[in-house]
Parts: sequence; structure tokens; C-alpha cells
Amino acid sequence: MTQYQSADPAALDELVRRVSPPLLRYFNSSQFGRNDAEDMMQDCWLRIHRSRHTYRASEPVMPWIYSVARHTRLDAYRKRRRLAAREVLVANIPDTLHQDAPEVREDDFERLVSTLPESQREVLFMLKVSGMSLEEIARATASTVGAVKQKARRAYSTLRRAWGKDSKNAG
Amino acid sequence: MQDDAYDLDLDRQLEAWAASHSGTQISPELARRVRQNLKPSLTPIKPVPSRGTFSLVLLAVFVAVSAGLVAVMNKTGLHMMTPLQLGGISTILVGGGILFATNLSGQMIPGLRAVVPIWVLLSLGGVAVFGGLATLFPWQTSGSFFSEGVPCAAMELALFVPAAAIFWLFARRGALFASAGLGTTLAGVAAFLVLMPLQVQCMFQQAPHLLVWHGGTALLMIGLGALVGNALRGRWVS
Repeated sequence: MTQYQSADPAALDELVRRVSPPLLRYFNSSQFGRNDAEDMMQDCWLRIHRSRHTYRASEPVMPWIYSVARHTRLDAYRKRRRLAAREVLVANIPDTLHQDAPEVREDDFERLVSTLPESQREVLFMLKVSGMSLEEIARATASTVGAVKQKARRAYSTLRRAWGKDSKNAG
Repeated sequence: MQDDAYDLDLDRQLEAWAASHSGTQISPELARRVRQNLKPSLTPIKPVPSRGTFSLVLLAVFVAVSAGLVAVMNKTGLHMMTPLQLGGISTILVGGGILFATNLSGQMIPGLRAVVPIWVLLSLGGVAVFGGLATLFPWQTSGSFFSEGVPCAAMELALFVPAAAIFWLFARRGALFASAGLGTTLAGVAAFLVLMPLQVQCMFQQAPHLLVWHGGTALLMIGLGALVGNALRGRWVS
């Protein structure tokens, strides 16, 4: 990252190679489809590039990158909601936010996870998929370790309740 | 026993869910496009100073602008306050300024853990200002509560806008992404800044007037800042 800040093209190549897959996973985990996730990833790289002066060598890289990614995703959500609202006004069609999602995962567990509040789902994703520590997640979400722990605990207990109920029903 | 079985099953499901997301890869074409977009503007940059340095600079801006405003404004209120009132309210406002400036400096640099959650900061600031005004100043009102208060609120608004703009211009040295937290913090630091000169020039040093027209207006502006930040959340505002 520091070499990238020094304008080393090889460092940029290496960073793009290493960081793009986890970034795409992060964007792809939301209600957006693959194409939207790729657009968000490119937008995120532009933001990373524009804000690279705010990275300090003494700080961990991934929370810094996820922090930028998180704002990129929030921005995309906001734009999408605004677009959906406009579509309703102009064409007088019902809210299509969920119907629009091009990628619908049929898996039951995926469906359960998608019912969690966005903030809890995000913490769960960073913990389980990205393999980040509580401290790193707190940094990425500009939060405290205590708040992250609480979100993870709530997500886990919601899933446990819902999954237990589903299992009982299935049994 | 059955709960343990559900927990184990849930753990397995979580692992499987995580694994299902871990396989996502990017195409070489997409990676090439990203590199191509960034390389033309790849120039050496100097990293920003530490959060502590930003906090100190923001605090210096806070003190300098506040002192400048006090110097050029009417000082009627200053002569009406007792040393205890002056000392108490100055401590509260500078303390609030320090807290909000530190929080703002943290929001200028992505990837920093919050020192104090924004709701704690807001509660502390609110309790200190409203509690301070309610206990330090006498509970009496003159006849024309409304007509005395409106000019104070108007002046507070007039000072607030440029104060917020100054802090926003400074904060742009970092990477600013809109959020309710950023809106609250930016409005908070500006509100604390304008409360001091307002206090010094105001001739109505009574708790109801100060609480409603000074404190209430500040709270309104902070709320507005939070709303604007939330409406624009995620957007790059540097």
C-alpha cells in the first residue's frame, strides 16, 4: 500500500490482484447482482485511489479498504432506492427493489441470512467470509468492538431462533 | 441438548454459507479495466498526518474562530455573567468542542475505530450544555420571551453556516463519506463553536432563554446535520 502511495505501478497491480476478489465477494453478498457488484467494485477502486492519501502505514490495510467499500455500497443502496422511487412515480409500477435483484439465491440459509438487518449481516459477512477480527470490523465500520460484538451476537441468536424453528418444521 | 444440536447445525450452516461466498473470483478483463482506470492518475502522494494532529488542528481552528468572533462581537453578555457562569459555560463549550473535533478527525480517515460512539457523544454534549445552562443561570423570564429569542436564534443560524463550512473545508483534507454520524459531528462542532460568541454577546442571561433559543437552536441544527448526512449516506463529500 505504501508503494502504491509512492506511485509504483507494480504495487498497484499487486493490490488490485489481491484485494479485488474479497471486494467483489463483499459487494456480491448484498441484494445486488453480479453486474452491479462489478460496477460497485470499480467505483470502490476509484474511491480507494482518490482517498489513498488517508492511508497511514501504521494502520492495518483491510479495515481501511473495507471502510471505503462500505461507503461505496451504502451510496449504491441510496442511489438504487432513489431510482426505484422514481420508477414508481413515472411508470406507476409497484416497488421493484426486491424483484429487481437479478441474483436470487434459493438456498434456505441464504434466505435466512438475508432477513437479518443490514448492519448485522455485514458484521456476519466480515467475520465469517472475510475472516476479519472484531477489532478490524470495528475499524471498517467506524464503530467500537463492543458494538460489533453485540451485532454479531444478535445476528447469531436471530439465526439460531429462525434455524431452530425451520429445522423443527422440517422435522 | 436439542439446542446444542441446533447450535452445531447452525455452525455448520454458517461455515457452508461462508464457503459458498469464498469462491467468487474476478475476471482478468475486469482486473485489467480497474488497473487501466487508475494508472493514468497514479502519482506519488503524501499520507495525511495522524488523527491526533488533525484533532489538534481542528481544535486550534475551533479556538481561533471562536476567539475571533468574540473579539469582533458585542460583549454585553460577558459583563453580565458571574465568574462562575463564565467559567462553567466556557468549560462546557470548549469540552464539547474538543470531543466533537476529535470525533470529526476520526471520520476524516477511513478505517479508524470510533473512540466514543456518536450517540454517547451527543448525549454527553446535550446533558452538559442543557444541564449547565439550567443550573448556572437564573430561572426567570422577561415579558417578551419570543421577541427576545428570535434574533438570538437568527444570529446563531447566521454564524452556524459559515462555521460548518470552515470545518467542512478543513475536513476535506481527509476522505469524507456522508453519514448521519458525519452530519451530526460537523454540525455539532460548528454549533459548539457559535454558542460561545452568542453567549458573550447576549443580554438575556436567563436559563429559559438560553435553553430554548441558544441550546434549542443548536440541537435543531445538529438534528438537521444528521438528517442531511443520512440522506446522502455513502456519498463522497470531500
